[in-house]
Amino acid sequence: MEEKKSIGSRIGAFFRWIGRDLADIGITFARGDWKTRISFLVVGLGQILRGQYVRGISVLCLAAAMLFYIFGFGLSYLKDILTLGTQGRGFNPDGTISLGDNSFLILLYGILTIIVILALVLVWRINLRQNREAQELLAQGKALPSNRKDLYSVLDRNFDKTLLALPVLGIFVFTVLPIIFMICVAFTNYDYNHQAPAKLFTWVGLENFRNIFSIGGEGYGGTFFTVLAWTLIWAFFATFLNYFLGMAVAIMINKKGIRFKKLWRTILVMTIAVPQFVSLLYIGKMFASDGLVNAYLLKWGLIQKAIPFWTNPTYARILIIVINLWIGIPYMMLIATGLLMNIPEDLYESARIDGANSFQMFFKITLPYMLFVTGPFLLTQFIGNLNNFNVIFLLNQGRPQSMNLKGGAGYTDLLVTWLYKMTINDTDYKMAAVIGIMVFIVTAVISLVVYNFLPSVKDEEGFQ
Amino acid sequence: MTRKKHISNAIVYIVLIVISVIWLFPFVGLALQSFRSYISEFGGMVNYLIPKKFTLDSYKFLFSGECQFPRWYMNTLIIAVAATVFNTIIIICVSYALSRLRFKGRRALMNIWLVLGMFPGFLTMICLYFLLKMLGLTQSGAVPGLILISVAGAGMQYYVCKGYFDTLPKALDEAARIDGANRAQILLIMIVPLSKPIIIYTALLAFMAPWCDFVFASYVAFGYSASYNVAVALQQWVWTNDFQGYFTRFCAGGILVAIPVTILFMCLQKYYVEGVTGGSVKG
Amino acid sequence: MKKTLSILAAGVMAASLMAGAAVTAYADDITIWVAEEVTDFTKEKANEFLSSNPDFSGFSVSVEPVGEGDAAKNVLTDVEGSADLYGFAQDQLARLVSAQALTPLMGDNAAFVSENNDAGAVSAASMGDMIFAYPLTSDNGYFLYYDSSVVTDPTSLDQILADCEAAGKGFYMEINSGWYQTAFFFGAGCSLSYETDEMGNFTSCNVDYASENGVKALKAIIALAESPAFHNGSSASNAANCAAIVSGTWDSSVVKDMFGDNYACAKLPSFTVDGEAIQMSGFGGFKLMGVKPQVDADKLAACQALAQYLSGEEVQLARYNAKGWGPSNLNAQADDAVKSDVALSALAEQLAYAIPQGQYPNDYWSLATSLGDSVISGDYKDASDETLMSALQSFQDSCISYAK
Repeated sequence: MEEKKSIGSRIGAFFRWIGRDLADIGITFARGDWKTRISFLVVGLGQILRGQYVRGISVLCLAAAMLFYIFGFGLSYLKDILTLGTQGRGFNPDGTISLGDNSFLILLYGILTIIVILALVLVWRINLRQNREAQELLAQGKALPSNRKDLYSVLDRNFDKTLLALPVLGIFVFTVLPIIFMICVAFTNYDYNHQAPAKLFTWVGLENFRNIFSIGGEGYGGTFFTVLAWTLIWAFFATFLNYFLGMAVAIMINKKGIRFKKLWRTILVMTIAVPQFVSLLYIGKMFASDGLVNAYLLKWGLIQKAIPFWTNPTYARILIIVINLWIGIPYMMLIATGLLMNIPEDLYESARIDGANSFQMFFKITLPYMLFVTGPFLLTQFIGNLNNFNVIFLLNQGRPQSMNLKGGAGYTDLLVTWLYKMTINDTDYKMAAVIGIMVFIVTAVISLVVYNFLPSVKDEEGFQ
Repeated sequence: MTRKKHISNAIVYIVLIVISVIWLFPFVGLALQSFRSYISEFGGMVNYLIPKKFTLDSYKFLFSGECQFPRWYMNTLIIAVAATVFNTIIIICVSYALSRLRFKGRRALMNIWLVLGMFPGFLTMICLYFLLKMLGLTQSGAVPGLILISVAGAGMQYYVCKGYFDTLPKALDEAARIDGANRAQILLIMIVPLSKPIIIYTALLAFMAPWCDFVFASYVAFGYSASYNVAVALQQWVWTNDFQGYFTRFCAGGILVAIPVTILFMCLQKYYVEGVTGGSVKG
Repeated sequence: MKKTLSILAAGVMAASLMAGAAVTAYADDITIWVAEEVTDFTKEKANEFLSSNPDFSGFSVSVEPVGEGDAAKNVLTDVEGSADLYGFAQDQLARLVSAQALTPLMGDNAAFVSENNDAGAVSAASMGDMIFAYPLTSDNGYFLYYDSSVVTDPTSLDQILADCEAAGKGFYMEINSGWYQTAFFFGAGCSLSYETDEMGNFTSCNVDYASENGVKALKAIIALAESPAFHNGSSASNAANCAAIVSGTWDSSVVKDMFGDNYACAKLPSFTVDGEAIQMSGFGGFKLMGVKPQVDADKLAACQALAQYLSGEEVQLARYNAKGWGPSNLNAQADDAVKSDVALSALAEQLAYAIPQGQYPNDYWSLATSLGDSVISGDYKDASDETLMSALQSFQDSCISYAK
C-alpha cells in the first residue's frame, strides 16, 4: 500500500509535481488566447468573456474577497509575525490605557493571512485551468457547458462539494486554524508573565520542549513522564477491565433462563443517560474522607479511621479505575449484547456435544470472536480513555498533588487534565500547547502501531 | 443437569441484583439529597443518606425569582435542539459524500480528519474563545457561539453514520440514476428514509452532549450568568466557595436535568444500541 | 462554478472575521463582578449612586455573581471581556497587575484609599509604591469555629482533636492551602514574604522555612494530618461531620446553621511540638475592588467614582449590616456594632497573632498545595528531621526561584 513509500520519495514526488504544475502554467500562458491571458491578471474575466458567468463571477468574487482581506487587514498583522509585536501597552497620564501590539492577534491573523494567500494561489490556479479547458473545448469546436448546467452540477456531478463545503469550512476555521495556532504557541513564551494583550510574547524556539524533557531541577521532565505513565496505565485498565467485565455482564443478562432482561439492561444504561457532571460529582463527594461511604463504614464498625480515598495516590488511582467501571460496563454491555447474538448458535451446539463447559466455550468461541470483531473498537476506546477528561476531573481534579510533581500536576492527572489546569488555573499556554502536542504524538504512535497489528484492517471498498 | 442450571441461574440473579443496587445507588442518593431542605435542615454536605424531613425547598428555590435556573435550562435546551438539527444534517451530508461519492482528495480528507482528531480538544480552547469573540459570540452571545462550535466540528463525527451508509446496497443508487434521479435526489429520497435508526442515533448523541458541557461553555459564557447552561451553573454551586450550602440545590437541579434526558434516552435506546454496536464493529 | 463553493465560503468567513475585528464599541454599561452573596446589595448601591450623580447619568450598571476567589482566573482569560469593576481576594493582585488588568490609582484616588483605610489594607492593595485597588474588607483572615457541646478547650489543638475524636466528629482545616498553612509556619516563627515592583513583578523573596522552626511547623502539620479526626477542608458547607473548622467570616451563616445553639468562635488554637506549645499565626487578608483599564476617559472617571463609593465608609457599613463583611474603612471599623460582632471579634483576636498578607506569586499557592498534599498522603509519615529539612529546603528554593 501507499505507506510503503519512503518519505524521501514522497518529497521528491512533491517537487516533481510542483515542477510539472509550473510548466503547465507556462504552457497555458504560451498557448492561451487573449481571454485566457487576461485571466492571469484578472481572475475570472476570461470565463465571463466566454459567457460562463457562473464560473467567472464566483472565482472573481472569491479572489476579490481574499485580496480585500490580505491588503485591507491581513498584511498589517503578517508583517509582525517574526517578532510578534514590539509596541507594548501603557497607561496614559490621565489613567486611561493606550493600546499596543497584541501578540495573540498578530500570530492568529498572521497564520490566517498565510493560509488566505495560499488559498488565493489555489483559486488563481483553478481559474487558469477553467480557462484552458474552455479554450480547448472551443478549439475542438465543442460547446461550453451552459451556466444552467454549471448550476445544476452542484446537485449532481459536483454534489460532493456542495455537501462538504460547510463542514470543511467549519472544521478549517474552528479546528485546523486553532490547532495550527496552538502548535505555534508551543514555540513561544506565551504564559502568565507574557499575557496578551498586556504584554508581548515572542518566539523562543525549542525551549519549552527542552523543559518538558529535562529531568531534575525545575524541569518538567520527571512530572511529564509520571503523568504519561499513569495516563497509559489508566487507559489500559479503563479499556480492558470495562471490556471484559462488560462482556461478562452481557453474557449473564443474555444467559438462557434469566428473566427481566430488559429491566437489568435499563438499570445499567441509566449511567449513560444521566449527564456525568451530575452523577460523577456526586460519586466523587461520596468517597470524600467525611463522605457517605466512610461515614457508614465507620458507623458499622468496619473501619476505625476514614479511608483516604482521594488523598492517597494509590487509593485514588484504584478508585478512579473502579468508578470508571460504573460508567464503562453498561456501554460495553450494550455493544457485547448486540455482537453476542451474531455468533452462530451451532458453534456452541457442537462444542456442547464435544463436552465443553461454559468456561471452555467462552475462551474457545466467544472471546476469539469478540476480539476479532472489536479490534478497532478497542483501539478507539483506548484513545478515548487517554483523553478521558470527565471521569478524572469530575471525581477529584487529578489530585493529590505532591512535592515530587511540578507544574501543579497531581498523581491522578492525565495529560489532558494537566493541560486543562495549565490553561485555566495557571494561564501557562506555552506548556499547555507542548503537552497538547505530546498527547497528539502519543495518540498517533499508538494508533499507527496498533493498526498495523490488527488482523482486521480491511479494504474499505471490499466491505461494501 | 436442571439442578445445576438452577444453581447457576440463582448465582447470576444474585450478581445482577448486587450490580443493580450498586448502579442505582448514586441516583437514589442524589434524589434523596435533593429532598433535604436547605432552610430547615442543612444545605451543604452531610454524611447521612436519608433526610430528616422530605421537602421540596430545593426545587422551589430553582423556580423562585432568586435563581435563573429556568433560563439556564432554556439555554441548554436551545443549544441541544439546534445542535441536534444542524449536527445531524451535517453528519448526513458528510457521511453520504464520503460513503457514496468518489472524488479527488476523498481519502486525503478522511486521513486529515483522522489526524486532527488526535489533538486533545482542550488544547484549542483559548483560540476558539478569541475566534468566537471576534464574531461577538462570547458572554452575552455565548448560546449561538456554542451552537456554532458544536456544528462546526460535527463533520468529523461521521464514522458511525458513514459505516451505516456503506452497508446500504449500491444497486439502489444505480437503479435510481437510471431512472434519472440526480445525486441530491438519491440522498433525500432514497438514503435518508432508509437510515432512520442511524439518524436517530446521531441526533440523540448531539442532543445529549450539551447537557454535560461545563468546560467550554463556562469558558465562553464567563462572567455572564444569563448565558450559562445548566452544567456551568450547577457545577459552580459545588466547586466555587462563593456558593455556600448549595449542595442540595445542586442535587435538585441535577435531577431535573437528568429526568428528561434519561426518559428520552430510554425511549430511543433501541436506536442507540444499534448505533454503538454498528459503530464498534466498523471501527 | 467548479470546485469553488468551499473556497467561496472561506472568503465569506474571512470577510466576516475582519468585520468582527473592526467593531470596537464601548458601551456605556458598567459591568461589576462581585461575590454572589452581595450581588443584589451591590446592584442596589450602584444604582443609588448613579441616580444621585447627574454627571454619570449616561451610564448604567449590570452586576454579575463571580466569586472573588476566581476573579483572576476569569479576568486573565480575557481582560477586555471582563467586568469594569470587580471584587477579588488580595492574593490575586500581583497576577492582575502583571496582566494589566487593573488601573493604577493616582492623585486623589490613591489618597482616598491611603487616608481612609487601615495600613494593612493599603499595603494589600499596593504593588511597589503604587496602589492598584480599593479595599472592601479587612476580614479576609481565618479563625476557629467550634461546636461548644463537643470542644471543651478551644485554645489547644490537641484537646480539640481529642474531643472531636471522642465524639466521632471532625476537625477541618485546609492544610494543603498556602493560605492556611502559614498558621503553622508563621506561628513557629518562620517568615515568607516577597518584594514587588509596580509592574507586578516579584523582585526578591525573604524566606526561612528551611530552619529548625520550619521543621517544627511541618511536624505539627504532619501530626495533625494523622489524627483520625482531621479532615482537609475549609468550606463549612462541604464539611459533613464537623465539630470545629478553621475558616473565615464568609462562612459564619453556614456554621450558625450547622452548630445551632452551640455555635462558638475563638482565635486559632496552639499546637504542641516536642512539648512546646506554639500559638497559630496566619494571614490577615483583605478583599479589594479593582477597575479594569479603560480606553475612554469618561468611563474611567465613572468607574473610579463608583469604586470609591462602593468601597467608602457608608457602603462598607451598610455591607456589614446587611451581610456581616468586616470593614477596612477606619471610620466604619470604629462603629459600635462592628466592634461587638462575635465572629469579627474572634477574628480581631486572631489578627493580633497574624501577619498582614502581602503579595505572593501564583506559583507559591500551587507549591503549597503540593506540600500539603504530600503531607496528607503520608509522604512524610515517620520521616526523620533530615528528610523534613530537605523537603523544606526544596520548598524554600522554589519560593526563591519565583522572584527574579
